[in-house]
Amino acid sequence: MSSVVRIDRLTKDFPVGFWRPRPHRGLDGLSLEIPAGGVFGLLGPNGAGKSTTLKLLMDLLRPTSGHAEILGRPVGDAHARQRLGFLPEHPTFYDHLSAEELLVYFAGLFGYTGADRRARAARALDRVGLRSDDRQRPIRQYSKGMVQRVGLAQALVNDPELIVLDEPMSGLDPIGRREVREIILELRDEGRTVLFSSHILSDAELLCSAVGILNRGRLVASGRLSDLTAGEAHGWEVVMTMTDASLADRVSPRVMRTRRIDEGRYSFELGAAARPEPFIAELSAAGATLVSVSPIRTTLEDVFVKALGQGDAA
Amino acid sequence: MKRAGQAVAVLAAVAVGIAAAAGVLHARDERHPLPVSEDRLMYLRSGRTADRVFLSFDAIASDVYWIRTIQHYGRDLGSTRTTGRFELLNPLLDLTTTLDPHFNIAYRFGAIFLAERPPKGPGRADQAIALLEKGLASNPTRWQYLHDIGFVHYWFTNDYERAAAAFERAATMPGAPEWLRPVAAMTRAQGGDRAGARRLLTELLSADQDYVRHTAERGLQQLQALDAIDQLQAIVERYHDATGSYPRAWRDLISVRLLRGLPIDPTKTAFVYDATTHRVTISETSSLFPLPRFLQPRTR
Amino acid sequence: MSLRRIALVARHVFKESVRDRVLYAIGAFALVLVAASILIAQISAGQDVKIIKDLGLATIELAGIVMSVFVGIGLVAREIDRRSIFALLSKPLPRWEFVVGKYAGLVLTIFVNVVAMTAALYLMLGYLHWSASPAVRLSWDAPAMDVRLLIAVALIFAELALLTAVALLFSTFSSSALLSLVFTLGLFVAGTFSEDLRHFGDIMDVSPIVGHLVGAIGWIVPAFSAFDVKAQVVHALPIGTAFVADTLVYAVVYIAAVLLAAVFLFSRREFR
Repeated sequence: MSSVVRIDRLTKDFPVGFWRPRPHRGLDGLSLEIPAGGVFGLLGPNGAGKSTTLKLLMDLLRPTSGHAEILGRPVGDAHARQRLGFLPEHPTFYDHLSAEELLVYFAGLFGYTGADRRARAARALDRVGLRSDDRQRPIRQYSKGMVQRVGLAQALVNDPELIVLDEPMSGLDPIGRREVREIILELRDEGRTVLFSSHILSDAELLCSAVGILNRGRLVASGRLSDLTAGEAHGWEVVMTMTDASLADRVSPRVMRTRRIDEGRYSFELGAAARPEPFIAELSAAGATLVSVSPIRTTLEDVFVKALGQGDAA
Repeated sequence: MKRAGQAVAVLAAVAVGIAAAAGVLHARDERHPLPVSEDRLMYLRSGRTADRVFLSFDAIASDVYWIRTIQHYGRDLGSTRTTGRFELLNPLLDLTTTLDPHFNIAYRFGAIFLAERPPKGPGRADQAIALLEKGLASNPTRWQYLHDIGFVHYWFTNDYERAAAAFERAATMPGAPEWLRPVAAMTRAQGGDRAGARRLLTELLSADQDYVRHTAERGLQQLQALDAIDQLQAIVERYHDATGSYPRAWRDLISVRLLRGLPIDPTKTAFVYDATTHRVTISETSSLFPLPRFLQPRTR
Repeated sequence: MSLRRIALVARHVFKESVRDRVLYAIGAFALVLVAASILIAQISAGQDVKIIKDLGLATIELAGIVMSVFVGIGLVAREIDRRSIFALLSKPLPRWEFVVGKYAGLVLTIFVNVVAMTAALYLMLGYLHWSASPAVRLSWDAPAMDVRLLIAVALIFAELALLTAVALLFSTFSSSALLSLVFTLGLFVAGTFSEDLRHFGDIMDVSPIVGHLVGAIGWIVPAFSAFDVKAQVVHALPIGTAFVADTLVYAVVYIAAVLLAAVFLFSRREFR
């Protein structure tokens, strides 16, 4: 499987200060490969270098040293851009244009003409769910969510192989976020590659097949999500309901943690060594009812926090 | 480094482009310059209006108008047109000096431009003097403007009375040089006002500077010589009235006792009588030569 | 290189200007001023044709200058400021095509405005011609609806094209719109006085070095005053075709140099 993005020791210094600018290292020797197909999440706290990385890939910034390839061509190559889609962070577009006009304009820049151009624009707007009467209004009048949709549409108008999204969920309400998530999964299912940056881990957890975690310009962890969060379950969570509260108190010392969720419902955390089955059987015999059993695995958040901690120490 | 090399190449290309453009412009102006529009309609003629229009950019505006003044003067000087020569000089100078009332050379050179007689100038001594007086109004201690007023009167209007008055006023100003007063005096003499000149020169006899005293002495002697010449001329006429013919030399006058001896000037040099013109003049060998002009004052 | 892409950018710029209400304000102001000159002409005792032509041409030039400078500067700076440029540059549009397209769009806008104002001027001159008696018409230096006015307008347009290029140049590399404005206006003033600068050493009493330095500046700055044939046209003085051709060549060469610099600077530009 080929890589759509190849980053080799990419470094970016920003001059800070006017008279004797001292460089601030925004990105420090990043090396990364992103395979084709699937969704890759570039994660990290604010200021970690995520946007910097994406801008370097899109030739909006030029590297201080290092090298990157996108779709097999060096960064900045026009041919690669033909097969690429990009949604910048906090996008703004030409206020005076309508969504339709904007999409038609951009489609024209890809080389599409005539009816084909208009059809593609319409398809892209359909895909992001922008209503037809809204499409004719100037973008000036759009809500944030609508602008984000337009942004996504213009990234898709050319049926790209690789879609790069910089904080695509920012500013969206939960419904909007779910819709974007669904679109991303659709794109993945169509065999495209999606690269997005975010500081919201829950989205990443739901979407990504692989992630890279940046902190202070350095890559502190990367790999397939399943690999990163792999490891045996280090415990079990058993949720049961019981009418007899004293029952919970009796088993409490044997478990790692007991939590009362609400009236009659308790959550018990068992250690990794213990098996939940006998525990459940015992409580069931005493009259309790099982609600759920789930293994406690490493979450992405755990990985994240741990990686950051290591990064800081380094 | 490739980037630096690129930058140099582009910089060189841009420089070449600009140079080429400048070359085209230069060639254009050499080969087919634009005919200068001779019609002159100045939209802004009033200094006061200009002052308001230019807000606080008066000084720069006055500089621009000064440049235009010089250009106008230069252009008309070399032009062959016969009507309306230098017609914009006064409005331009008025604008220049209203926008900047302390624009020294505009007053001084401007006055000279205005006073120059055609074809070298418009011959408007009155405008020149008005300009200088305007300068004086804003700069009351500038003796140079009064001196220039005197100058204009002396050379262009030949009004020696006023010229002398201007020099005298100039002499009273702080910082005025001492030579202004003898100049005033001699100007009075030039105008035939010997009494006034005598008065001034007598005052100057007690001046501090040696050269001023010497000049005053000499001036007084010249006035004496002028008076003597008048008297001698009168005697020559009496001889003519009495005998019906003019004398041929001083001898003739001495022989009829009209003169007691050879007439001499205050430097003891003999006066000269010309038998053909019948006129008495000072000798060219005298140190008082030349006498101030107009030594033919009140006799017929 | 794709002319089509450049044309797309240009058309987009034109559309933006058309929908930008500021431009209408400038245009309206210009038209009002041109109309007002008819009033002025009534009180100027026979000089009306000349005054209307003078004022009309001057207004076209002034309105054009305001447009060139303010919109030219905003053109790129605004895009960069508002980040709308990020999405645009991710498309297969080379940076140089972006710059050239922007320039072409603005020049097109100015062209349309100049044409509109010139048409209005001719309308007014037409009215003047129609309302004047044959005797009065004979007294005019040049006919009211003189075709040669178009020469003056054409050169004004060339001047505006040059000024636009300068504004665009500053807009592509300066991060502050105010700074771009200052530089562009400064260069415009210098260019207007370029002829005086060239003769500076002759007129003013300065050392030869200073004279040569200032003179050199007079040759280097874009000579905006070199496009002024208003007085000649109004007084029906001859203007050779060679003169006009040379002036246009000057404009084209200089504009090319400026655009080259703008393209170069913009190619190097990074966007934080």
